[in-house]
Amino acid sequence: MTPGAAIAPAVRLTRVKKSYRVGEAFVQALRGVSLEVAAGELVALTGPSGSGKSTLLNLCGLIDAPDAGEREIAGVAIDGCAELQLTRLRREKLGFVFQSFNLVPVMSAYDNVEYPLILLGLPRAERRARVGDALARVGLGGLAARLPDALSGGQRQRVAIARALVKSPALVIADEPTGNLDSATAAQIVELLRSLARERGAAALVATHDERMTRYCDRVLRLVDGEMQDGEPR
Amino acid sequence: MKWLLFAWKNVLRNRRRSLTALAITAVSAAAILVSSGFALFAYEALRELSARDTGHIILAERDYFEGDEDVPMQHGLSGAPALAEELAALPGVRAVLPRVQFSGLISNGDKSAVFIGSGVLPGLDFRVRGPQMRFLAGEPFSVGADVPGIVIGGELAKLMKAKTGSSLTLLAATTEGSLNAVDVLVRGLITVGVSEIDKRLVLTDIAAVQKLLLTDKVSTLSVYLRETGATDAFAARMRAEHPELAVRTWLDLAFFYQAVRALYNRLFGMLGFIMMVIVLFAMTNTLAMAVAERTREIGTLRAIGASSAEIVRNFVLEGVLIGGAGALAGMALAGAAIVFLAFAGIQMPPPPGRSTGYPLQVNFSAWLYAATALSVIAVSALAAYLVSAKAARKPITEALAHV
Repeated sequence: MTPGAAIAPAVRLTRVKKSYRVGEAFVQALRGVSLEVAAGELVALTGPSGSGKSTLLNLCGLIDAPDAGEREIAGVAIDGCAELQLTRLRREKLGFVFQSFNLVPVMSAYDNVEYPLILLGLPRAERRARVGDALARVGLGGLAARLPDALSGGQRQRVAIARALVKSPALVIADEPTGNLDSATAAQIVELLRSLARERGAAALVATHDERMTRYCDRVLRLVDGEMQDGEPR
Repeated sequence: MKWLLFAWKNVLRNRRRSLTALAITAVSAAAILVSSGFALFAYEALRELSARDTGHIILAERDYFEGDEDVPMQHGLSGAPALAEELAALPGVRAVLPRVQFSGLISNGDKSAVFIGSGVLPGLDFRVRGPQMRFLAGEPFSVGADVPGIVIGGELAKLMKAKTGSSLTLLAATTEGSLNAVDVLVRGLITVGVSEIDKRLVLTDIAAVQKLLLTDKVSTLSVYLRETGATDAFAARMRAEHPELAVRTWLDLAFFYQAVRALYNRLFGMLGFIMMVIVLFAMTNTLAMAVAERTREIGTLRAIGASSAEIVRNFVLEGVLIGGAGALAGMALAGAAIVFLAFAGIQMPPPPGRSTGYPLQVNFSAWLYAATALSVIAVSALAAYLVSAKAARKPITEALAHV
């Protein structure tokens, strides 16, 4: 990047449309949604069930393709990319946090966090340093050897956050990250996500039903019937 | 190494299922190794028998093997003693034995029967034939007796009501087309394990046969080598150095060996194929369940940056681990079977047309073990690939929604 050049947004969607066929029915999940999340920004995506939040996250996370519209991740135009390029972008630029944690049960907390770094082909010493740091930052430095089954829900989600952020992605996609957690733990997790994302310069797009979560976010976007309502900067 | 460890942990996820696949793989590998080891034993035994019977290399006059003879020894080999001496001096040659093949009638005065005989050098010839020819009674005849000695098949002896010390008469057509006869003394009764041969077999001194047939030729020179593996090279040398002679190897004349080998290759080849199909099914079943159970995990790993190929590789590694462990266990089982059979002394019944059984043994072959292990591992890897490739290409959103 040249000095003075504008920093590309972590994600930019322009008039994105997506529809599904469910049986005989035709569901218009997104009706020309545009969205931009700047680097380091934490954005909440709210809306009732079926409003298109998950579809929007899937499109931002490059795990689904729109019917129309344009996408950019960290300044890279996406549409038209081959699957291998999408895989490389997910590997390098994106982190995921799932509602059900989605940790690999046979891997220890350490191994789960290390996995994305192995995919990146980082040397062992660098992996070790980064994983140790990430686990320490989420407060699980002493539990690195534990399997997910031996961790509480909150601890598992911390591991998932460490896994998402360990590679310093441009964007973290979090789909209901507090959905399976109690209120106190949920607040800690959101606070952690926000501070770590900021620390590492990552943007985060968080789909949530939990209105209490939104107070931690820089911006709240509301999606209704596949259309974006006006966002409210905080 | 990291991926191998990851695969190993996944293999241990459902231990009972992995163990079942491993056990099926092990039993299949052991079945292949034991049956193929038995076939190798049979090949080796038959090869030994054939080579001991004919010699490793058989030299004869050019038309001996293909041409029909109008009179006995028409295609006999002249100058055999000098050629035998020359060949015996070559490195790697253990013995060179002249033989005269002849046939005719054998009579005890009351009864006659057709015989098929060989004139041989008694001491050496009986030694090189080894256990293939077993004495039922008596001993080999000696050279230069006033009344030539013979050994005859046990079945022929019964037919002739002969025993050691009995006098018999051999009648045969001479090289001049007339009939000649010689009185002989039975010195021993033998069996070669094939009753049809034992009913006709006569062995006697080569000099006596030449006298009977009125010839100084021999039918063949049988060259016995120290190493069976040197056969082809030696045959090539003989063909180059003696283009005037017909040169055959023991394999050219081992029709029974070749027939058994062709049969066993098909039989045990089919068995091996069936075992591999069983391994394929067992591994496919095991890994298909694993893939189905881990579809959501596949989606997660793809979302965080793993490619389809990397997902498939993980499952293939799991297949390789189960297949490899199964192959190792199968090799151990087969090894145990070899040791057991070596000490158990189990006898197989006589094969069709034969009168004696043989020990049930299983040979070890490093090549066979390596090939079987690699095949089992390859089939396991193939099964893993087949079941995981589709799941790895499933849309990530579908995989993540899998319950």
